[in-house]
Amino acid sequence: MSSTEQGTSSAAPAEPTTAPESAAAPEVPESFYYVHGKDKVVHKVSAGALQHSALIHGMISNLGYTEEQAKANPFPFENIDGDILQMVVDWCNQHKGKPTPPEDTNLPKQKEKLFDLVLAVNYLEIKELLTYCCKQVAMMVKGKSPEEIREIWMIPTDAEDEAAEKEAKKRAGKEAAGETAAAAGDAK
Amino acid sequence: MPELVMENIIGLLNFRSVLTLRHVCKDLMNFVDKLNDSKLPESKFSKIEIDVNSDIYITYGNLATSIYSESDNSRMFNRKGTFLGNSNIVDVAIRDLEQVLKFQKSTLSEFHFRDHQSLNDSKFSNFHVKLSNIFKKLNRKIRTTKLFVTLGNQSEYMSILPFFDSETLEQLVLDTVDNQMQIEIDEIVKTEQWKEANSIFCDFYALNMTVEDISDLQKFSFKMLSISARDLDFLKKIITNSSKFEYSFLHMKYFNEYEEISNIWGPPFHYGSESQWYFRMKNSEENILQIENDRGYHLFSFHKIEIREVPYGTIVQDYNEN
Repeated sequence: MSSTEQGTSSAAPAEPTTAPESAAAPEVPESFYYVHGKDKVVHKVSAGALQHSALIHGMISNLGYTEEQAKANPFPFENIDGDILQMVVDWCNQHKGKPTPPEDTNLPKQKEKLFDLVLAVNYLEIKELLTYCCKQVAMMVKGKSPEEIREIWMIPTDAEDEAAEKEAKKRAGKEAAGETAAAAGDAK
Repeated sequence: MPELVMENIIGLLNFRSVLTLRHVCKDLMNFVDKLNDSKLPESKFSKIEIDVNSDIYITYGNLATSIYSESDNSRMFNRKGTFLGNSNIVDVAIRDLEQVLKFQKSTLSEFHFRDHQSLNDSKFSNFHVKLSNIFKKLNRKIRTTKLFVTLGNQSEYMSILPFFDSETLEQLVLDTVDNQMQIEIDEIVKTEQWKEANSIFCDFYALNMTVEDISDLQKFSFKMLSISARDLDFLKKIITNSSKFEYSFLHMKYFNEYEEISNIWGPPFHYGSESQWYFRMKNSEENILQIENDRGYHLFSFHKIEIREVPYGTIVQDYNEN
């Protein structure tokens, strides 16, 4: 498994030289967890950054892993492409402990990537990022005709849908018939 | 896309884009149609007008009017015509309206439903029934400040009125195609919509209506077959006691108790063909009730005026609780 330690470079801004009053409290060392996507590339992410994801936050909240245990047990997200997970990790790091701005202009322009990001963010339950993504997807179709929307969102026509369904049924029927014939042959 | 994502996206679109989305494919149409109204964007129209005549016209706010024409079985919107094939134009118009109403959650300033068809030549006689059915299906009351309905009898009005939110309704206008019509309104006056409205105007002769049914209104105009001098005096007493009353018109088909009313209210002040009486109102030095009667039209009009508007030399009668 290839391993990179990303996400730590975009850490929190430098501490102010004059510490505020609250800084008198003893600092708790930040804990880190590890995640990987379909490409198995492991990303090291702080618990603070991961708080954006309700799914991961729920998974790690009572785990009490040591650094070694966390490193040895990265969370696998096999349904998310590596480059998409990278985008998600970057976003979580950039917005760690900060209020989220009203809009985000750094989302992918390529619609296939944006749709994949939407699916990943929805799965990981990152509410704010999902809202940004949905806004961008909504903007794509504002004022467009049904035909244009179909093309932009890559939606098949009802006729194409029906044809695909018929084809799938036909294929399933053939496969079932093949299995029955094979089973009959075995029985002989 | 997962359902939650689609709900999010739809909530971020404007209502026109969502209506367009319904035409992309069957799945999206089903998804939008099954979505709870609260998840849909708001259309924010200020006014909806429905006119049923030789054709059907529906106007949403300042948008162009949709015209549903029976002669060429088409719908015209924004200069774009659509041939409706074998579809019934009433069904298409009603379905279009139903879709838009799902998005109209804010309070309209006006809702008009004018069925101008005469009883003998009624091409779309079931329109108000189908309209009533979609109101029922909507499962929430339509909020409007002013409601204007033109229909032909009590049961038709009753098929529409109860579907409007009585708390937001301030003004109710009930009209007919023929203003000489006589319509029973004993059921209508029992509705919340009637009881909660501040102003009510009817252009037909209202039958089975009592003075009590109109005594709490701020503004009103009614036609009645007749009224007794005693009832007129009762109305005067209620009005002089009211802090919210502004004006009203009562038009009678027959009235022959002029002598009795002069005995009760005293001799009138004559101004041209009109007789006038002036009464002080309860708890007010400034407000005066002016009652004018035009004998030629059997019309009694009541206006709250200020003392400075009372003609010079006129007697203003004191407020009398009894």
